[in-house]
Amino acid sequence: MAEESKVNIGRLREEHQKVVKDCESRIQHWKKVSADYEALNERLETLPNQLSYDIMVPFGPLAFMPGKLVHTNEVTVLLGDNWFSKCSAKQAQKIVTHRMNHVRKELDDLSKTMKNFEARVGFAQNLETLSASRGDYVDIREEVRNNDFAVTKGKQRTAHKPNSKPKIDAVFDLKEDDEENDEEAGDSGTRKGILTEEELWARLDELEKLEELQDEQDRQSYHADMIGEDSSTSSSEEEKEADAAPPVNGLSLKPSWSSAPHSKQPLTERKEDEEEEKEGHCLPTIFFSHTVEPKKVRINTGKNTTLKFSERKEQKEHSKKKKKNGHSNGHSHHEVLKITTPADIYRLFVDVKNGEPIPRKSILKSRSRENSVCSDTSESSAADFDERRVIGHSFSHDETHSDTSDGITEEDSPTAIPLLMPSRFEAFSGTVIEKDPMPSAVPHLTIVPPALPTILERRQEEVAPDVAPPQQASKRVSKFKAARLQQK
Amino acid sequence: MADAIQKKLKAELEKYSQLQKDVSKSMSSRQKLETQLTENNIVKEELDLLDSSNTIYKLIGPVLVKQDLDEAKATVGKRLEYITGELQRYETLLKDMEKKSEQHREVLTSLQQDFQKAQGLAKGK
Repeated sequence: MAEESKVNIGRLREEHQKVVKDCESRIQHWKKVSADYEALNERLETLPNQLSYDIMVPFGPLAFMPGKLVHTNEVTVLLGDNWFSKCSAKQAQKIVTHRMNHVRKELDDLSKTMKNFEARVGFAQNLETLSASRGDYVDIREEVRNNDFAVTKGKQRTAHKPNSKPKIDAVFDLKEDDEENDEEAGDSGTRKGILTEEELWARLDELEKLEELQDEQDRQSYHADMIGEDSSTSSSEEEKEADAAPPVNGLSLKPSWSSAPHSKQPLTERKEDEEEEKEGHCLPTIFFSHTVEPKKVRINTGKNTTLKFSERKEQKEHSKKKKKNGHSNGHSHHEVLKITTPADIYRLFVDVKNGEPIPRKSILKSRSRENSVCSDTSESSAADFDERRVIGHSFSHDETHSDTSDGITEEDSPTAIPLLMPSRFEAFSGTVIEKDPMPSAVPHLTIVPPALPTILERRQEEVAPDVAPPQQASKRVSKFKAARLQQK
Repeated sequence: MADAIQKKLKAELEKYSQLQKDVSKSMSSRQKLETQLTENNIVKEELDLLDSSNTIYKLIGPVLVKQDLDEAKATVGKRLEYITGELQRYETLLKDMEKKSEQHREVLTSLQQDFQKAQGLAKGK
């Protein structure tokens, strides 16, 4: 697959070069014509100076004959298409200048097309070199770490088990593809021998990452298509650069801050291989990970989720950063969970009670407006959010086997969210992490939130906040309610 | 079974290649027309530059025949219109041919698939 694309790119480049050469030859031709006309002009200038000239008249191909050139002002001009006209020298000159204009125009057009195609050749060449080997471009990738946060908070519940199987299939498909790709790419990469349990875990982690990457790329291509052809010139160039990542280079260039480099490396390699599989390019990759959590403001964003405000901003920044990869900005956050069927809606908007996912009766109603206080986040809530991101991720894995773009959330999330959880066999690992440690014990408050902010926020946030509806324990109070309570 | 399909495949291939040749022919004649169009445009403009003092000749075979300026302009104009009409005709023709070749291509691919299946069956047997 990678080789095919390489061949194709090579051919594209050749075709472009052919056009360039053709343009060059035509430009040469027109330049000659132009020179001819210049000479003609000169001759016409001087011709009427004398009444007659003594010349050697060519007689056939080999002989000359002395003769005279008379009627020096009378010129029979070929107007084209078998039309002639007798003109004075001056009129002939006028005609010549008129023709020169035409020639100049042609020359300009040709040079423009040539420049165009030269540029295309350059792009194709870059593409080729990048796909073949490392270029000068470096991909910066940030990994989201899940390790520290997965176990600390709340109860972990399992839900969405029906989707577990596809994930596994996808995982194994990826595995196969990766193995193929490994051979194709010829990178040493990680050998996928499933020998030890540890390797298994590492392998699973890699595959998860790969899935996300695939989704990313699907989204990329989707957005590239949407954006249009022009994206091919610049953004696709960047995309292609960004997407390629030879493992070796990536490893050497990676200033990873993660504490588990060994697992990350195969991951990144996998990622890169995966991307190679996708696009057949290699790029040196810098792997970057945040370790500092920014201060966040929690906002109730409907559907029992609170989104850290600054987190959103950071996501946007991240997606901007990733724009180099051709990601579209607005979608990074919104397509955490892709809802493709109505069933998805009911699957996602699920209340978790007592460890069991209970489908909501109405997906329009937000379950707990209660705790929607805008406040600075504490450590716990930050962790909470991370958990939610985890869930988002796990949700995303629900979708990833068929849909795209879910992985973006992970990558865009600024916090070092531990992404990889060893228990990831299922589409949804079930790490619905509650904000409070005792969510199930407390009955959900059925406070009806003020409708307007909820709906607005809901619209803004689409699915992403819906990721963790079950988490919002009953303790949340809407700000209005809080105000009321305070007043009381 | 496989042989019959093979024969069909060959026949279709020939038809398709024939179509392709036609397409390329019409393409080349279209290009000729385009050059003629530009040339006649230039002639028209140059005739406008001239006035009636210059005699205009038309080359008919080996003979230069005197023409009137206005006549010449009219003739060139008519020729231009004719060329543009021809060009449009060729355009439509080309489009039709493209469609036909597409159809043939589809038929070809389907036949190829059948052929491969038949071959596979034959080999399996």
